[in-house]
Amino acid sequence: MDRRTYLKGIFAAGVLGTASFSLFKWFDLNKPIDASALWDKKALIAEMAEMIIPRTDTPGAKDANVHTYIINVILNCNPVRQQHKFYYGLEDLEKYAQDQYGKDFLKCDASQKQSILEHSAKNAEYSNRILNKINNKLLGQSFFSKLKSLTVEGYCLSMAGATQGLAYDYIPGKFEACIPLKPNQKSWATK
Amino acid sequence: MIYISDKSKKLDTYDAIVIGSGISGGWAAMELCKQGLKTLLLERGRDVKHLQDYPTANLNPWDFKLGFNNTLEDRQRDPVQSNAYTPADKHFYVSDADHPYIQEKPFDWYRGYHVGGRSLTWGRQCYRLSDLDFGANLKDGNGVDWPIRYKDIDPWYAYAEKHIGVSGQKENLSQLPDGEYLPPMELNCIERHLSESIKKNDQHRLLTIARVANLTRGWDSRGPCQNRNLCSRGCPFGGYFSSNSSTIPAAMATGNLVLRPFSIVTEILYDEQKQKAKGVRVIDTITSEVHEFYAKIVFVNASTIATAGILLNSTSSRFPNGFGNGSDQVGHNLMDHHASAGASGAHDQFADQYYKGRRPCGFLIPRYRNLHDHENLGFTRGYNIQGHGERQEWSDKVNGLAGFGKDFKAQLSTPGPWTVWMAGWGECLPYYKNQVTLDHSQKDKWGQPLLKIDFAFEDNEKKMMDDIEATCGEMLEKAGFRDVATFNYHKRGGSTVHEMGTARMGHDPRTSVLNQFNQMHEAKNVFITDGSCMASSASQNPSLTYMALTARASHFAAEELKKGNL
Repeated sequence: MDRRTYLKGIFAAGVLGTASFSLFKWFDLNKPIDASALWDKKALIAEMAEMIIPRTDTPGAKDANVHTYIINVILNCNPVRQQHKFYYGLEDLEKYAQDQYGKDFLKCDASQKQSILEHSAKNAEYSNRILNKINNKLLGQSFFSKLKSLTVEGYCLSMAGATQGLAYDYIPGKFEACIPLKPNQKSWATK
Repeated sequence: MIYISDKSKKLDTYDAIVIGSGISGGWAAMELCKQGLKTLLLERGRDVKHLQDYPTANLNPWDFKLGFNNTLEDRQRDPVQSNAYTPADKHFYVSDADHPYIQEKPFDWYRGYHVGGRSLTWGRQCYRLSDLDFGANLKDGNGVDWPIRYKDIDPWYAYAEKHIGVSGQKENLSQLPDGEYLPPMELNCIERHLSESIKKNDQHRLLTIARVANLTRGWDSRGPCQNRNLCSRGCPFGGYFSSNSSTIPAAMATGNLVLRPFSIVTEILYDEQKQKAKGVRVIDTITSEVHEFYAKIVFVNASTIATAGILLNSTSSRFPNGFGNGSDQVGHNLMDHHASAGASGAHDQFADQYYKGRRPCGFLIPRYRNLHDHENLGFTRGYNIQGHGERQEWSDKVNGLAGFGKDFKAQLSTPGPWTVWMAGWGECLPYYKNQVTLDHSQKDKWGQPLLKIDFAFEDNEKKMMDDIEATCGEMLEKAGFRDVATFNYHKRGGSTVHEMGTARMGHDPRTSVLNQFNQMHEAKNVFITDGSCMASSASQNPSLTYMALTARASHFAAEELKKGNL
């Protein structure tokens, strides 16, 4: 280990320590997640996904069933630690809602929900900036970053998202190399 | 239990045997069949029939429940292949768990064990080598001299290009000879801009559209390409060349082909009296029976690493170190291009321009280093640049866009700035110590020794990567790109999937395995025309060269057979 890596390690341990990171939690993170517990959070995930990509003149995340995509990908494709990180993120967010407003996130009004999710987004940006690669490697992507990227992915790959939220060209036939952008032109759903 | 089949030898005798049905094996089978030879084409995996065995070819993104993410099980079972496949083309890759190999140093060996092999998933780039490449070993003393020059292969390049259909633009460059092309694909706005800037700033450099085996018009009852860019799933339009869509059906049509899938060749059999190969030994993976097949000539096209394995496993009193391995070069000189270093950037011009369709290729900046003597760059040989321009779309934007909600959605779903990504595909020198060997202490499920791969890039490749970073960054800066970032991904060996060199061609039987017709020095009726034969790697994507050499060797073999020389 070179000096820089060593210092990074110390720094990471310090920051993680202040983030009330316990040894207990560390061990817990290596056990498989309870899938049904995550499916129980479906409504919560759907609500937040819809806040990230709301219905406008085009479908939103709920219309595209993005919550199902998110849960499936978390459970089947994400390492166990990332699964836990995501699940703890949901619990933290619910706790934050209780602490701030004395009720479940889903029972909060629109502006309360907005400020809760903003809080979560701010934390993600903070941890992305401070811990970045170290944190990602040790524990996986932060909760909100994960939620956001899976929401985008699930939406843009869905039929509603690809064909209405974006522009989908199933069989282009010709390639037109340089054409004027049309007013309100959506970007292509696939590359 | 395995036992030797007692079928009569006559039934199992052919004029020619071809081992492997990938891009070069398919060509060998077609050419030999067209020459009137009864040919047995052996493939270790399952059959894949053109059109009917492309299960994902017509699926939409939303038909994949997990998107294009591989599952945890996929990644555990296939730690190498899962880096390349997605749920859309996973069925064209082997399972690492079923097909283990030993990595003495990190080496990604991507494989597809089925009829057509990697011709289904290849990158389709078709570039000719030039005398700059064929003369390089002799000139700088690395490896052994190629026993051929450009004039020997030129007509066979044309022959291959005319058959497969290559779209491209002629550029009249000595280091990258022009071929027989269908109309070129088109550069988009940002690529044209970069092209003009490069032309203006350096008279030795130019940017041209990639030369690819995607058809810009109907060809040989296939295509044209529909610009879906889903090639690796198999094309329902036959829009690109593969063994499955072209050479194997053509071989079949002659009535001379017998295709035998599920047949692992374990050995080439040597006839001590006649001093040549008499056939091959095969394990039938369905019945576990061992069969022997006999022929007058054998073409080995198993892909360079597997070909080396078969040769090394074929021992006899004549060849105690492996078939035709008196030179002790079999398995050595393994090469793979490096494609790790490059640069990317964004551009603010052309904000009112876009494109329609998904062109299945990018651009090429042909080699511009060491074209002349005494360039003193600190490395020998060269590289070409491959890249593409596009406008940022959702998958590029997701990590950079802050916030969430209505505005976020609006930004996510509109075209972002133009960007260009480009990287150098660089020549790798032939090093004796980069090698494939057999480990007899570890066996696969058919009782065959595991292949051990020991490969690393050396100083010449690393210096070249530094130069690639610098020149790529420079070209983008000069063209007015912003946020220019150079990179070196430090990819593992094998990542470019251009393995080659393990049974090299050469003049001298003491230092090479094959002669100028890809014919084994020590067994005249054995021909090796996959990547194994390469005496140097050049920097061009190699498949077209394998096809041209295969066609050339097949014609030579058929003629020699007719003359009674084999």
